[in-house]
Amino acid sequence: MDTAEIGARLERFLAARLAADAVHLARLERSTEGFSQETFSFDVDVERAGRRERRGYVAKREPVAGLLEPYDLEPEFRVLHALSADPLPSPPTPWFERDPAVLERPFYVMERLPGEVPIPAAGPDGCGPFDDAERAALAPALAGALARLHALDWRARGFTFLGVPEPGRGAASRELARWEARIAAAGFPPSPPLTDALLWLRRHTPASDEVTLVHGDYRLGNFLVERAGSATKLTGILDWEMVHLGDPLEDLAWCTSRLWRAGTPHASCLCAAEEFDALYAETARRRVDPERLRFYELLSVVKMIAIMLTGLRAFNEGRTPDLRLAIFDHQLPFLELMLGMVRGWLAGGA
Amino acid sequence: MLVPLETLIDGVVRALTEAVAPDVGTRYARGQLFAAVDVLRNLRDRIEEKAALQRLETESAEAALGAVIAALGDEARAVVAALAEAPAEPPAARLVGLRAALVRALAVVDALPPALAARARPPLAEHLAMQALRDVTVLKPSLLAEISRG
Repeated sequence: MDTAEIGARLERFLAARLAADAVHLARLERSTEGFSQETFSFDVDVERAGRRERRGYVAKREPVAGLLEPYDLEPEFRVLHALSADPLPSPPTPWFERDPAVLERPFYVMERLPGEVPIPAAGPDGCGPFDDAERAALAPALAGALARLHALDWRARGFTFLGVPEPGRGAASRELARWEARIAAAGFPPSPPLTDALLWLRRHTPASDEVTLVHGDYRLGNFLVERAGSATKLTGILDWEMVHLGDPLEDLAWCTSRLWRAGTPHASCLCAAEEFDALYAETARRRVDPERLRFYELLSVVKMIAIMLTGLRAFNEGRTPDLRLAIFDHQLPFLELMLGMVRGWLAGGA
Repeated sequence: MLVPLETLIDGVVRALTEAVAPDVGTRYARGQLFAAVDVLRNLRDRIEEKAALQRLETESAEAALGAVIAALGDEARAVVAALAEAPAEPPAARLVGLRAALVRALAVVDALPPALAARARPPLAEHLAMQALRDVTVLKPSLLAEISRG
């Protein structure tokens, strides 16, 4: 199905859902930032009772193959839908459609929020995507939004369908098992650095009875930002594909991981990891346990390796023509280097 | 590398012909594109990974495994067995076998009492560190920003 056909089908879908007299597609663009779900940003002109109004939406469609297969968009849709009216800057997400007659594969539609998505890549000058004023404005905003996310009453909102971890080591064990299973499913021989990391994680699985909603992919690259110097604003938190219930420090470790520093010394290119941890701890009124954080810091790199291996498997088996997944083959050594830094067998480690 | 070179090249050819070619607008550019495809298709069955890189990793892995076996004595029986399972030839197959022996060695060491394990960890750590550095040394600066922005 080409882009024009997708646009035509989205027009019909929205006309029905909005109960409009007519819906005209004004713009449709497939995003290139996300490597997992297919993302289409589009504008429509909605005609109703003689009035015409332009609205912006984003459609997320299940890919044929990808980094987080097997896919099920429904859990993240249910969370986003439930959070649509929440002050947390998540996109209002009104519709989910599983019928293959509509867009061949399951998809959901959310309202497009203002702002751009800075990505964790070094610029030509070796700096990250933000200047000093932007960093100073965004670091507390992101730490605060994470604290708010973790403060949500997940039981009251009915998020138990995400699976409540067992007390004690349940949350950490479940996440480790989840990612070990993905690594095994990818089918590649285990590498020595990854084996070393997994052995350490199994021996150091931390106990915690703090269970919160966990975004799962909270980091630079999944934030919408409106730049305005010291008035720079966080306008959206995107990509909830890995949302689950678990230890809140999993999100903190992921956000501050070396994975998203783009050559800068800053967590998510914002501030020192310790500073971000302190901002979060103050706002969340939660102690950041260094032992738990260390576990999730290492698990973050393991998760990313698992994601890359899953993508490589899809490419290797010819199930996707997306050449972007092939680049993981030569990016893996960078992640193994990070494993060495976190584990301490490489100089510069923690 | 986890993906065979032939598979990588096939993937590049597929992306160029299916995703790029339809949007290339000038005849000259299309000619260059299909010349690139022709070069790649004829390269795929004539290349393999650099032997020098494999040799460095092989020597490093053999040294680490030898040191582990020397440090652990009888406790290293499973490592000795894994090392014996690694074929002598061809070099690529030996390297795969040595990596599997290293994985076995890490598991063996992990199960030992801490004092004994501590004797075997340094050579393994040294190999992991040196190999990680060798692996990234040959890589080119990432184009991830361009790939993401399109």
